[in-house]
Amino acid sequence: MLIERHGKTVYEKLNAATVGIAGLGGLGSNVAVALVRAGIGKLVIADFDVVEPSNLNRQNYFPEQLGEDKVKATTENLKKINPYVEIEGVSTKLNPENAARIFKNCSIVAECFDKATEKKMLLETILTETKKTIVVAASGLAGFGKSNEIKTKKISARLIMVGDGENGIEKGLSLMACRVIIAAGHQANVIVELIVKGNL
Amino acid sequence: MTVLRINGEDRHFEKTLPATLADLLGLMKVDAATVVAEIDGQIIKKDDFGSTKLSTGQKIELIRLVGGG
Repeated sequence: MLIERHGKTVYEKLNAATVGIAGLGGLGSNVAVALVRAGIGKLVIADFDVVEPSNLNRQNYFPEQLGEDKVKATTENLKKINPYVEIEGVSTKLNPENAARIFKNCSIVAECFDKATEKKMLLETILTETKKTIVVAASGLAGFGKSNEIKTKKISARLIMVGDGENGIEKGLSLMACRVIIAAGHQANVIVELIVKGNL
Repeated sequence: MTVLRINGEDRHFEKTLPATLADLLGLMKVDAATVVAEIDGQIIKKDDFGSTKLSTGQKIELIRLVGGG
């Protein structure tokens, strides 16, 4: 079905790809859905948290999953979309010691954390501890409106930034599904582009 | 004349450059805890900000991160 839709070459590239997702909150849970629907063959997903009521305004979980490990809940949801997608789930807190190892088979890692200091930790770790892995990170997606201020920007050969770069939770802005999903869509879209074209 | 190219724009310094990356961030009032720094394509880790010396003509990318996800 996806071969018919995308063509054989594109299908094969997407199906052969392994993509990492660091954090399964508003960004990560939605990036994962978009990538699985696009036909990515394998995801490595990592998070240490459980699903909480405050997540349901923007994260791809359901009330019956409250209290469930996010890796388990995301795996269930992705398998409902495509039973054949391969998911490697890692229920742990990512840190400078384990992140490069956990994502070692991923050509691209989506940075989907909530806290700015954690975002920094992941970028520094993946970009210095791996040789080729590309990071697609997000910064500046809080609030609502201003859809077109969310951009995808290539910083260097291995770092792509998504977001408006400014509007964070530090400003007291809340996180809403609409704008978070725009950013998640940018992340998933540039990941597909990188896989199909080989570069940007 | 001393100059650094920061985020694509030349920044000139009258006499001397800030000695280290940490000094530059201090001068620019950038929070070191939430910025990723790249000098001539090389990512500098947080622990090395204080020991990374700067020299004229370097290309520096400072990527400020804000929370939310």
